[in-house]
Amino acid sequence: MNAQKIRILVLDDEPIVCKRLQPALEKLGYEVRTFTSSLEAMDHLEENDYDIIITDLKMRGLDGMRFLQEAKRRSPRTEVIVITGFATLETARESFQRGVFDFIAKPFKLGEIQEVVARAASKLRELTV
Amino acid sequence: MDRAMERYFEKIRRILLPRAEPSELSELFEHFQALLQDHQQLMVTIADLGEKSGGEYIFDRKYLDDTVNQLRGDLLRLVERLNLLTNNKFMALYSSVDRILLQIEAELRGRLALSDEMPLAVSLDALPLDHPELVGGKADALARIRQRLGLRVPDGFVATTRAYRRVLQHNRLEDRIHAWLESWASGKSDARQASRQIQYSILAATVPSDVASAIRRLAERSATSWAVRSSAYGEDGELSFAGLHETVLDVPTRELLTAYRRVLASLFSQEALTYRREMGMLGEEAAMAVLFQEMVQGRSAGVIHTVDVTNPRQDTLVIYASQGPGRLVVEGIGEVQRLSVKKGLSQETVRQSTEVHTELSAAGSTPHGPAFPSDAQGRPILGNEAMKTLTAAAMTLERFFKRPQEIEWTIDPAGCCWILQSRALSFSMETGPLNDAVRESCSRYRVLVRDTGVVAHAGVGAGPVYQVRSESDMPLFPDGAVLLTRYTAPWLAAVVPKAAALVAERGSSAGHLATIAREFRVPTLLGVEGATELLPQGEEVTVDAKQRVIYLGVVKELLMYELAKGAVFEESPEFRLLRRLLRRIAPLHLVDPSAPEFTPEGCRSVHDVIRFAHEKAVQELMDLPHLLKRFRGIKVWRLVSEVPMGLKVLDMGGGVDPRTEGDRLLPERILSAPLKCLWRGLSKPGIWSTAPVDVDFKGMMSSLTKTKAELPGFIEFTGFNLAVITGNYMNLHLRLGYHLNLIDARMETEPARNHIYFRFVGGVTDITRRSRRAHLLAHVLSRYDFKVDIKGDLIVARILHITAEEMESRLEMLGRLIGFTRQLDIQLRNNDDVLKFAESFLRDEQEGAPLTIGGKHERPED
Repeated sequence: MNAQKIRILVLDDEPIVCKRLQPALEKLGYEVRTFTSSLEAMDHLEENDYDIIITDLKMRGLDGMRFLQEAKRRSPRTEVIVITGFATLETARESFQRGVFDFIAKPFKLGEIQEVVARAASKLRELTV
Repeated sequence: MDRAMERYFEKIRRILLPRAEPSELSELFEHFQALLQDHQQLMVTIADLGEKSGGEYIFDRKYLDDTVNQLRGDLLRLVERLNLLTNNKFMALYSSVDRILLQIEAELRGRLALSDEMPLAVSLDALPLDHPELVGGKADALARIRQRLGLRVPDGFVATTRAYRRVLQHNRLEDRIHAWLESWASGKSDARQASRQIQYSILAATVPSDVASAIRRLAERSATSWAVRSSAYGEDGELSFAGLHETVLDVPTRELLTAYRRVLASLFSQEALTYRREMGMLGEEAAMAVLFQEMVQGRSAGVIHTVDVTNPRQDTLVIYASQGPGRLVVEGIGEVQRLSVKKGLSQETVRQSTEVHTELSAAGSTPHGPAFPSDAQGRPILGNEAMKTLTAAAMTLERFFKRPQEIEWTIDPAGCCWILQSRALSFSMETGPLNDAVRESCSRYRVLVRDTGVVAHAGVGAGPVYQVRSESDMPLFPDGAVLLTRYTAPWLAAVVPKAAALVAERGSSAGHLATIAREFRVPTLLGVEGATELLPQGEEVTVDAKQRVIYLGVVKELLMYELAKGAVFEESPEFRLLRRLLRRIAPLHLVDPSAPEFTPEGCRSVHDVIRFAHEKAVQELMDLPHLLKRFRGIKVWRLVSEVPMGLKVLDMGGGVDPRTEGDRLLPERILSAPLKCLWRGLSKPGIWSTAPVDVDFKGMMSSLTKTKAELPGFIEFTGFNLAVITGNYMNLHLRLGYHLNLIDARMETEPARNHIYFRFVGGVTDITRRSRRAHLLAHVLSRYDFKVDIKGDLIVARILHITAEEMESRLEMLGRLIGFTRQLDIQLRNNDDVLKFAESFLRDEQEGAPLTIGGKHERPED
């Protein structure tokens, strides 16, 4: 295993998404923290740094687009992966304009997100080498 | 828009819109084509939902809401089209759709548990699964074990939480309980006082007559002596509640209501109140279902832990056993033997390293006198056989619930093992470094398959590989083996519950076998190319149907990790909800169109509505005389061929070469893909024998004395054979002699849109011979992975989601089969003939044609 674990934050206001993503990613050796409230996640980011953020777009409180914008502003090296049930071409385009690493429409396969996370992780490792 | 509002507008629309029947033929064709499209779309959505229940996908509530919305839209459109086609013959179907959608919406909003639709009391065998809020955790688990796993669980019934609410309501107890709990919460009274007052008032309550008679009705059917046990909502689920509520044993039937009240009252025992408060559950959230089971007088009894809690990493399970009727182990009194058994994946290893010594159960705490032996002769309490049976049952339960289990069991004087309870075993295992360790451990094993196939049901399972090649292999299939098969034929369903995992070379996650695998929660990988070569028969392998990897050997670390930490997605509320929705959407109850319940009122699921609408739309077109009257210029082709069938063809678009003139249609001018394939089979030389059939005397007499009306399920037919076709669709009605044969098929490049539906009924000669022929057809069709139902001489076979190539080979086979069975029932003199003729047909198929049993990608389906 790599010396430093990749840290992932998952934000989705539906608990089922967090509950299922966490073990699936942990099993691959990532360190995972999940949130169902975007405001809480934002607070948490004040003090903590993550390598990868996986976020929903449409949420109560702070919406995903603003959340990822804010997260990117604080830590430009963080890779953001957007997962959403409201996948339209516009939202996808907008996400990419904001520097999102990848965009996945819900429902998705576990294997799909594991693969995207692996790509993001290897990109991060390349940058740090 | 609000759903009620939506429905309201829909109704208004139905009243206001002019619904003149189509005046133009082209309009009729358009409606029919559109109806077929809607039909397809709906079938795809249903397949999609089923696929999502396998654990491979992450979905959320929004997905369920969206899907139900889409179903609603498509269903209403389908019904509208049907009515346009048939001149509003089926307006009643709107209320069926309303009724079914209302139930689905109630499920979505979680409002069903307390509605009138749910029973006050219900037997364990009829218990609705996935409703722990209605029946409590304990009863939910036991019903699963009885219904799904087929293990011995004492028979009985459940008074639901709805009955509990009825009792409170009837005695006006809700407000009083609320007040007492408030006063406890605010510190005005203590838990003992609150508990006493509430319990007294429940013990003194009258059980309302509807609840009482529901209980009596179910109790009348059997035992004289009952075990009355708590099955509180939340109990045996995430929270354990172990031993907090009451169990009353040896209750005679006439005292059931008294025992019922006692168990209800125990919901408010002081311990239960305190425990719930500590767990953050509000007092009134709790609800008590009560389980009534026949008493089993135990010769010995005890508890099994499928993991040794004192040493979880050791690969053993522990059986605690005591003499007598039981409860000793649970209550921690008396002498108990402890057996630790190596968790064998094959029966042979079971006895290995068994040590017998006596100690107190895990539940007890006081050290106890001299060890082994406990009984006078110094023999162990459990014999070898009993231990094997218990171990096998324990492994089945752990496999199914995907968590280490704590199982209460008893053995009756006849030596039968009974499961009294099974719940998650809580134990602590340091899981911190486990994540990395698991990856490392896995990497030490040889990988046989990686990143191949589709996940039909997620999970991890291990065992020796056992390939099932034909039905005769099935009885030999060992418990806990990995089921390996080339095709996902529906008849494999019988061994799925015994399998630790399932691997198939073909198949889709929308198929019938995938549905079965999900029901039994068997980790399943389909479409694993070359699996039968890669997985050696008899070798132990570990199938990780989450990561799509198959290892050689038993990866204990991975299995342990999954047991301890893996998410049991099946138990999450979203998956439960999805399964409840699916039960109102996917099952097909209306199989036989000639059955009396084949009506709009008879539709119980979304699938039923779709099936009904499709059948009726086709029937409308089949009524040619009526159609000819309705539409001028309707063109019906006459197929001209050496096969003297007199087939008429009604082309609804794209089915016939436009250059064809006159009303004579040559087979080479057929463009409809399904009809073309079928005709290829039907017109093979030698298939359509015109030689006189050898009719024996009995068969002859029977056919001479028969009139049409005597034929069961006989549909008055207009005297010729008719095919309604489009470019990729065919509905063929044949009447050959007294046989009625229907084949409905759609054939496109996208497998999810494809299907073949086959129905065959009637015939000359007596019913025995006709049913012999039905069995012959069933035998042949199931070899081609059709899902087959037989009722008397009616046979209905279905196959869905197969590729165009597979469609092609099957339609061609059906073409020959029609010729082959044309008058076969006359020749089927005894039951042995069935197999003989079937095998001869299958042999000819294999030799005479390029098609083999099973095409390239098997995708049989329900």
